[in-house]
Amino acid sequence: MKRILLIAVLLALTPACKRAAREVVVYTSVDQVFSEPIFKEFERQSGIAVRAVFDTEETKSTGVLNRLIAEAQHPQADVFWANDPVRPFLLIKRRLAEPYLSPSASDIPATFRAADGTWTDFAARARVLLVNKKRVSPGEMPRSVRDLANPRWKGQTAIANPLFGTTTMHVAALFTTWGEEQARAFLASLKTNDVRMVSSNGEVKRLVSTGEVAFGLADTDDAFEAIKEGAPVEAVYPDQEGMGTLVMPTSAVLIKGGPHPETGRKLVDYLLTPDVERRMADSAGHMPLRPDVPVPQGVKRVSEIKAMQLDYARVATDMERIEPWLRQWVGL
Amino acid sequence: MAETVGRTLRRALRQREQTVVLAAAGAIVLLASALPLARLLAEIPGAGTAALAVLARSRPWGLLIRSLALAAAVTACAIAIGAPLGLLVARTDLPGRRALWMLHAFPMFLPPFLLALGWFQLLGREGLVRSEMTARLLFSEVGLVVVLALAFSPVVTSLVALSLLGMDASLEEAARLAARQSRVATRILLPAARPALALAAIVVFALSVSELGVPMFLRVDVFPAAVFARLGGIQYAPGEAFVLALPLMPVALGLLFLERRLVGAGSFAVAGLRGMSRAPIPLQRWRPALAAASWSVALAGALPLGALALRAVRGGGFGNLPQWIGQAPWTSLGTAAVAATLIAAVGLVLGHGAARRLRGASMLDALAVLAFVTPASVLGVGLIAVWNSSATRALYGSVAILIIGYTARYVVVGIRAVASVVLQSPVHLEEAAAAAGARFWRRLIRIVLPVNSRGVAAGWLLAMVFCLRDFETAVLYYPPGREPLPVRIFTLEANGPPPVVAALALAHVLITALVLAVGVLLLPRRSAG
Repeated sequence: MKRILLIAVLLALTPACKRAAREVVVYTSVDQVFSEPIFKEFERQSGIAVRAVFDTEETKSTGVLNRLIAEAQHPQADVFWANDPVRPFLLIKRRLAEPYLSPSASDIPATFRAADGTWTDFAARARVLLVNKKRVSPGEMPRSVRDLANPRWKGQTAIANPLFGTTTMHVAALFTTWGEEQARAFLASLKTNDVRMVSSNGEVKRLVSTGEVAFGLADTDDAFEAIKEGAPVEAVYPDQEGMGTLVMPTSAVLIKGGPHPETGRKLVDYLLTPDVERRMADSAGHMPLRPDVPVPQGVKRVSEIKAMQLDYARVATDMERIEPWLRQWVGL
Repeated sequence: MAETVGRTLRRALRQREQTVVLAAAGAIVLLASALPLARLLAEIPGAGTAALAVLARSRPWGLLIRSLALAAAVTACAIAIGAPLGLLVARTDLPGRRALWMLHAFPMFLPPFLLALGWFQLLGREGLVRSEMTARLLFSEVGLVVVLALAFSPVVTSLVALSLLGMDASLEEAARLAARQSRVATRILLPAARPALALAAIVVFALSVSELGVPMFLRVDVFPAAVFARLGGIQYAPGEAFVLALPLMPVALGLLFLERRLVGAGSFAVAGLRGMSRAPIPLQRWRPALAAASWSVALAGALPLGALALRAVRGGGFGNLPQWIGQAPWTSLGTAAVAATLIAAVGLVLGHGAARRLRGASMLDALAVLAFVTPASVLGVGLIAVWNSSATRALYGSVAILIIGYTARYVVVGIRAVASVVLQSPVHLEEAAAAAGARFWRRLIRIVLPVNSRGVAAGWLLAMVFCLRDFETAVLYYPPGREPLPVRIFTLEANGPPPVVAALALAHVLITALVLAVGVLLLPRRSAG
């Protein structure tokens, strides 16, 4: 028994002994597989240890955000790296964002940064229609998100649960752009057209890649992964002749009252460098906001597509406003 | 003056030593398990009518019925597999029965979603058996039931086997003089194992109904996933999530009632560690067929681990392991070891108290059972609400919160493990010590602990493994940069390289196997007779 107790104490002490003198705490909804190498590089360059909390796929975008809100009275995080540009506004509304004008952001287009420094966008994704080329002929390629409601594709398309992830923001953006009535009618038509609602964008990718559905709404990084895996798919940037494609930069926010404000600023500075945009383009197919950052084959720059013209703050407001209705629509 | 007060206090403490020790152990259970649940109950009035309206919708109830049906199916399948297998490994001459038991039991000590991951590597579209049909079957209710039944059937097997090994040998010997082997098995052995079987059914049902990782991985809609989703939804509303989880409370209380009614005192006696050795029942002409069937079941349970190993080796996953594994193994091992020690200590006091029917111990045992069967995500939100305050910030931001969470959820393991052995140890030793003037604490440390050291150590080991396999409780509040290994595997699984994820899963398997092996080696020797 004494031997077991000794082992227990030694094991418990091990992590404590490894704690670094300087550290920063970051919560992120960017996939761990992409964000963690960025943190490791920051650790290597700065000597500051990064302690991170990641989201699960099923509660992507909302899990760590809710944890930040739950911890609002006693913030544990220094930095929030959001995987979309809307969630930061939910923190700003709750006075959880600390204004910080990072010198690294000076060459990021002004539309992608807050004048007061409460948020700064970088490395973006776009919402695309991921199409299985074996199931959809070139002449039938969908061109708009409205094609999800086209009876031609009844029961053959998929979207992720709009209570989570980038799908929430997409639906909110449609409410902002089309207005209440048109957006609700569109969502009702999705139900009529038997659009499959699945747990995540990753699941949409899987269904399209295997041909279980003809096409579905996903993000550019899902498309990037599917193409890299050799799936017979094509990413269509929807509504290029109309309202444009939804572009979703990731966003860095310094948390007010975080335990390590100084190292938090250093991490924000690092995240906003062109090098991180390049790394995110290479590893995750993210679209750089800066026009001069090199991109790998198959990845477009934001300047190369027609983007939806949106006020992300308004989208955030709409997102919270439609939440009760959306939950009813989902059935929860 | 101070000396007089001190003397009076010491005398009072001595007189009420039993109450003080039980209260200290009870305080740990109350602080870890009851406080988070009470804190969330207090959130309900503040959540308002909107929160209560959640239960006015049909979907949550539909999901609840679906979850209960799936858990019932898992339980039925686990009993169908585990009951006969328990009998075979404990009391027959099945070839290699000890090795078979170990092979069959091992997956029980792993996070079930790890096994689902293995089945995916085997039956998924890019698995070793590339078939559209197997993939569809896996990502369905059938797949969920099969994966969980194979994961949890060792619980039934082991409890039944331990119960049969611990039963009074004279009963069986007497029966064997007058009856055929099959009659002895069906009329004596299986009825004797009924309390163990009932307890196993309750444990499997509780584990199945609160399982989160496997249904989320296999994309099967279940109630706990809906609660978890509500916690991670657009608006953070813990009160509403708790309201949503309320229907699970009657389920938890129902399980507690069933456990008390069907199992009763037998619940403490199922893990008999004092059975006398007897000659095994010869299987005769059934031996080859039963051996083939039993080994097939054991190998089926281990198949997903083989698939994970192949995936990791073929994809070079082990080469990238150092890059991705981080500190997770140390966090897992350290926190699990400390939590298991705390659980064993509380278990020694309350398990002994429950077995000897000391006042309050039974109520605290019931509370521990309730915390175990409550959905882990609900417990997790309660833990955040209680511990994320300015006064306890240091604890909340450190690995201590993992230890508190594990203790909250798995303290029942320690209580039950100790109670089961204490109940089978002679009470006259304690009575003799008391008559000689030994007070409660001294009797506990000098008599109960040495006499039952094997049971206490086994309880520690079991608690350690339960903490190691935990995913559901820790995922909501793990401290930044200190995620346990199962959480790391789950968050990396989303878009991580499959060979690396498989290698990480195997690292967890290896760690668990090592802990079990070292733990068994360090277990105090069984006392003769």
